[in-house]
Amino acid sequence: MTIADIVREAAEERPVSASSDECLKCNVCNTVCPVLRVTDLFAGPKYEGPQAQRYRMAGLQQIQGPDSVNPKSPDHSVDYCSGCGWCTTVCPAGVKIAEMNSQARGRLREGRRPKLRDWGLAQTDLVGTMGVLFSPFANFAFHNRVVRAAFELALGVHRKAPFPQFSKRTFQSTWKRRQARRPDGGTTKTRPGPDKAVVYFHGCSANYYEPHVAEAAIWVLKRNGFETIVPEQVCCGLPLISNGLYDDARERACKNGSVFAEYARAGYRIVGTSTSCTHTLKAEYEEMLDMRDADTTAVSHATWDICEFLLDLHEEGRLDTNFGRLDEDLPYHAPCQLRSHGIGLPALDLFALVPGLRAKDMDHDCCGIAGTYGMKKEKYPIAMKVGAPLFEKVKASGATVAACDSETCRWQIETATGVRTRHPIEILAEAYRAADKAGGGTAAD
Amino acid sequence: MPHADVVVIGAGLSGLVAAARLAETGATVTLVAKGHASTHWGAGGLDVAAPVGAGTPAEGVARLAAEDHPYSFLGPDVAPSVAWLLERLEASGLPYAGTLDTPIRRVPTAIGGTRRVAIVPAAQAAALRPWDRDELLVVAGPAGFKDFWPAAIADSLGRESVWQGADRPSHVTGVSVELAGIADRNNLNAMHLARRFDDPAQRADDIGRFAAAVRKAAGGRPGRVAVPAVFGLGEHAEAWEELRARLPLEPFEIPLVPPSIPGMRLWHVLRERIRAAGGRVQIGEAVHRIHVEGGRVIAVEMEAAARTHLIRTEALIMATGGLAGGGLVATGDGHIVEPLLNLHVDAPEHDAWLVADALDPSGHPIEAAGIATDAGLRPLAHDGRTVALANVLVAGALLAGQRSLRERCGDGIAVASGWRAANELATDAARTPIGREPLAVRTDQ
Repeated sequence: MTIADIVREAAEERPVSASSDECLKCNVCNTVCPVLRVTDLFAGPKYEGPQAQRYRMAGLQQIQGPDSVNPKSPDHSVDYCSGCGWCTTVCPAGVKIAEMNSQARGRLREGRRPKLRDWGLAQTDLVGTMGVLFSPFANFAFHNRVVRAAFELALGVHRKAPFPQFSKRTFQSTWKRRQARRPDGGTTKTRPGPDKAVVYFHGCSANYYEPHVAEAAIWVLKRNGFETIVPEQVCCGLPLISNGLYDDARERACKNGSVFAEYARAGYRIVGTSTSCTHTLKAEYEEMLDMRDADTTAVSHATWDICEFLLDLHEEGRLDTNFGRLDEDLPYHAPCQLRSHGIGLPALDLFALVPGLRAKDMDHDCCGIAGTYGMKKEKYPIAMKVGAPLFEKVKASGATVAACDSETCRWQIETATGVRTRHPIEILAEAYRAADKAGGGTAAD
Repeated sequence: MPHADVVVIGAGLSGLVAAARLAETGATVTLVAKGHASTHWGAGGLDVAAPVGAGTPAEGVARLAAEDHPYSFLGPDVAPSVAWLLERLEASGLPYAGTLDTPIRRVPTAIGGTRRVAIVPAAQAAALRPWDRDELLVVAGPAGFKDFWPAAIADSLGRESVWQGADRPSHVTGVSVELAGIADRNNLNAMHLARRFDDPAQRADDIGRFAAAVRKAAGGRPGRVAVPAVFGLGEHAEAWEELRARLPLEPFEIPLVPPSIPGMRLWHVLRERIRAAGGRVQIGEAVHRIHVEGGRVIAVEMEAAARTHLIRTEALIMATGGLAGGGLVATGDGHIVEPLLNLHVDAPEHDAWLVADALDPSGHPIEAAGIATDAGLRPLAHDGRTVALANVLVAGALLAGQRSLRERCGDGIAVASGWRAANELATDAARTPIGREPLAVRTDQ
């Protein structure tokens, strides 16, 4: 055991809340908080996090009695944390500030009925299922100004908040239908091994709103010699976590764990196109929900973001690098959740392999939306201010298409700038198609 | 796996200088750090050397070079490295004032004391000029800003003892400036104010109020104005120009408690230089383990969500800091260790770490703990002669023999060692140093 091991083990034994002991009060977290940058409604990560933690501890110990002071916790404003995680990223002392704030929000909601709005925004699989079922009506309703104004009044979902189009069909049902059409009726028991197939976590966005992202991923994977396995799955639970609904999130995590762990243990890699879903599978079940069971751990270790996976293939010399020419400027926004992966910017590394493609990191902290945060009436103006410099840069680039790994960021950027914003995998699929066109090669399917 | 010619660990001044210099020479360089560092904490100036009795930084360097001190082998690099850095900063719109031959002088601090400096950002330069007999000092700051109390600072600076025999203003007066919408803020820090001054419309109004208040306080007398170091971050040059143009007296900034706006300006410029030259800066990525093979570092393994990831490299610059920065760790059983590579640490025995008087002018022996190197900055093994790892260089506060609190030499060592480390590794040949003999090993080890 090296000294680094000893130091690391000591840190691992400390839960999120105890990391407040490491806080030096240096204020570095406050310098990067995108929300604090634009509003006074949030007191900043330092005050809400490590500083408030002592009051929360006092509250937990129920300090009472006629002479004792029961300090008022500042939790009334912790809900204004968007959960972007920048504070944790830059903290030189290793304090888990964003995680601390999220847990505080979870505790506030414990045993209380959540706001209907927050509950509804967090039920992405329910909203998605209903929306797809009644998609013509739902798409009309969610994009009608009068209905949206009514939504805002009744529920507190901002009328201008970005909302995508429901797909006519879920990706799951399309996939099942396609499997059933296969000669073996999709019933064959001999599935390709872990070196020939990956398990796909599509998440809610690709299932209900953007099946084309799932299709692009499957197509690119196939071109690189990987079949795709699509198990039954539920929402990863992140919208529930960010709305403080921890018990519901745990239920989703258990469901996904029981399905995906089997594949993980068989050596399959779980690949996802939503960088926030993949981060939830990797880290948040354990870190936020305190789940440390064997299934959760197995899933965590097997999960890859799609660009991370492709870059890994490339580093092993296995990626088909025969990309065609895409002669265009491509502004790229790295989502907050991607940064929390700690894997650098794999999409940019992949874009660099595409001839002619001039991808440029917009180098902005946060687009503002932060999942469901920017959809809420009281937070929409904050989200728009947070993202404003990014929107300006994207517009100034003159590009017709931008790229971003996370769905809600894509919707936010697209709504705010009018510039079509796509998943990196769609850009890569296009580059392969350009190669086929130019070279007369064959497409993967 | 990703590859970089050189990996730099640490985002303090030494790491930033090393990475910026290397990127300029065409090497691919990746800087990784677990969080922000000294730039966000420090005063933004360059403390090169101000041991007691030294009249200029150059004199200080010469004095320290005669001792068992990093300047004994870095000395020749101090002047070219500082000149290089100041030239780059100026080119990026962040000019500094002072050289190694500028007299070290006492300038006011935010608690009404004085400190000894010579090389400072241009916005702090007016504090360096000798005080004429009839000169007034107006200390002006926003009302309600808890990090800068004009009346208290003025009261303290009015005392002769604070200046320790140096020339001083004939009269000091404090004035609080009422800025619009500030008074009811209960959470106002330097970042909030800096962003106000980045906004041209807000800035025009705020500076107008400063000008009126200072004009009234000065009453036509000659003198200077001390203001808190919050005049712009992204638009500092514009904000400072506007302030100078509109105040009746010449202003200078006083750096504050963290977060340090002058330090962050420095951070932004150096990060941008590294990135513009093709280098990468990855904050929030802690080192998990360093892979060593055959006496050479071959890869750096980073913490990430769910799994670690590796960066292959030809050489490593350790700019991880000293005891304060976490590059050295004091264990519970009285040892000082270097946690990443377990390099041999030059440190006194446990019972000799400290002397009885906390404020003893000669300091505490523990301050000098660090890694002993050859003149090429390569770490030495226990014997004090053999190079421990052929392709590892040590820079900044991790170097043994500096007592930077007392000698005020931390920034000079950071710049000179970062610059020299980069130069040592600037060519491919240098990055494959197998068979190289140790350079002029210090004989006093």
